[in-house]
Amino acid sequence: MTTQDLIEKIGLKALSKFDPREVDGVFVSDMLSDVMAGAQSGNLWVTVQVHKSIVPAANLVDVSAVVVTGGKEVPKDTVELATKHDIAILATDMASFELVGKLYNLGLVAK
Amino acid sequence: MSDCEHIWKMTNIEFGFIAFEKCSHCQAVRTHFTVDEESGDEYREGDCLWSRVENAQSFRFDLQCTKCNLAVKYHDLMGLLYCTSCMEDCEVEKIQKECAARKTWILVAFGFLPAKKDKPFPPHKLEILTDYFNQRRDTTRSRMKIVSHDLIEKFSLCKGEFIHDRGMLSLEVPEERKPLL
Ligand SMILES: [Zn+2]
Ligand SMILES: [Zn+2]
Repeated sequence: MTTQDLIEKIGLKALSKFDPREVDGVFVSDMLSDVMAGAQSGNLWVTVQVHKSIVPAANLVDVSAVVVTGGKEVPKDTVELATKHDIAILATDMASFELVGKLYNLGLVAK
Repeated sequence: MSDCEHIWKMTNIEFGFIAFEKCSHCQAVRTHFTVDEESGDEYREGDCLWSRVENAQSFRFDLQCTKCNLAVKYHDLMGLLYCTSCMEDCEVEKIQKECAARKTWILVAFGFLPAKKDKPFPPHKLEILTDYFNQRRDTTRSRMKIVSHDLIEKFSLCKGEFIHDRGMLSLEVPEERKPLL
C-alpha cells in the first residue's frame, strides 16, 4: 500500500508536497523520543503533534508519512519544512483511535 | 582492528529527561540526563546559583553491532539539533546547503552543555550514528549525516532546535527557542 492509496481509501488530506512511497506498518505516538527510539523505516506515524520538530524526527527515522489526527491545525512552517524534506504530512478530522481502526482494517499493522 | 562490516541496532534504550539549568549569577547554562523528573529548586554551588529552566523528555541508548556484538555507548549525546538556517555564514548551514543538493539531511549532535568549541563530539561515534540511521532507511530516497556541535561558530546566536519533547506534553505549540547561552 502506498501513501497515495491511503489518501484515497481513507480520505486523508495531503498538506505537504512529497513523492508517494510504500507504507509499511503503523506507529502511534505523541512523543518524539518514542518515535526516534521505536519507529521503523516506512512506518506511518499517527500523532496529534504539529510542531515543526516532527519533520526532522520523521525524517531521521524515515517514516513514510505523518498523519495528524483530531483535525488539529498544522502550522505553515511545519508544512513548508516537510515539503523541503520530501516528508508527507497528511491530516484527518478523525481521532487517532478511529483512524488506527481503519488502518487496521486495511491490513496495516505495527511492524 | 575488527574487519566486521558492522550492522547497528539501538539497544539499552532508557527514557528520561534532559535537565537544563541556568545560573542567575553568571548566566551559564548546563545540562544533564536524569531518569527522574527532578524538582527545579534553586541551589548554590560556589558563586553560582543554579535553577532548572527546562525539562525536555528524551532518551539515551547504546548502539550494538548485530554481527560482532561490539557496543558503543551514547550517554555523552545530549541530543540532535536541526539547523533552522538562522545564520548564513554558519558552517552547518553551508554543509546543509551543499548536502541538500545530494538529498542528504544534516543533524547536529550535541554533547552535554556547556559545549566546548575545542571539544567536538567524538568523530568515530558520529560516523557510527550516521551509519546506524542510514542502514535502517531507504537510502535510494535520501540519506542522513550527523555532524558535531563544534561546527556551529556562534552557539549564543544559534536558533537551531533540538528534537526533544520540550513543552510538548501540553500540546501547545512551543515558542521559538531563545538562544541557548
Ligand atoms: Zn560488527
Ligand atoms: Zn554561575
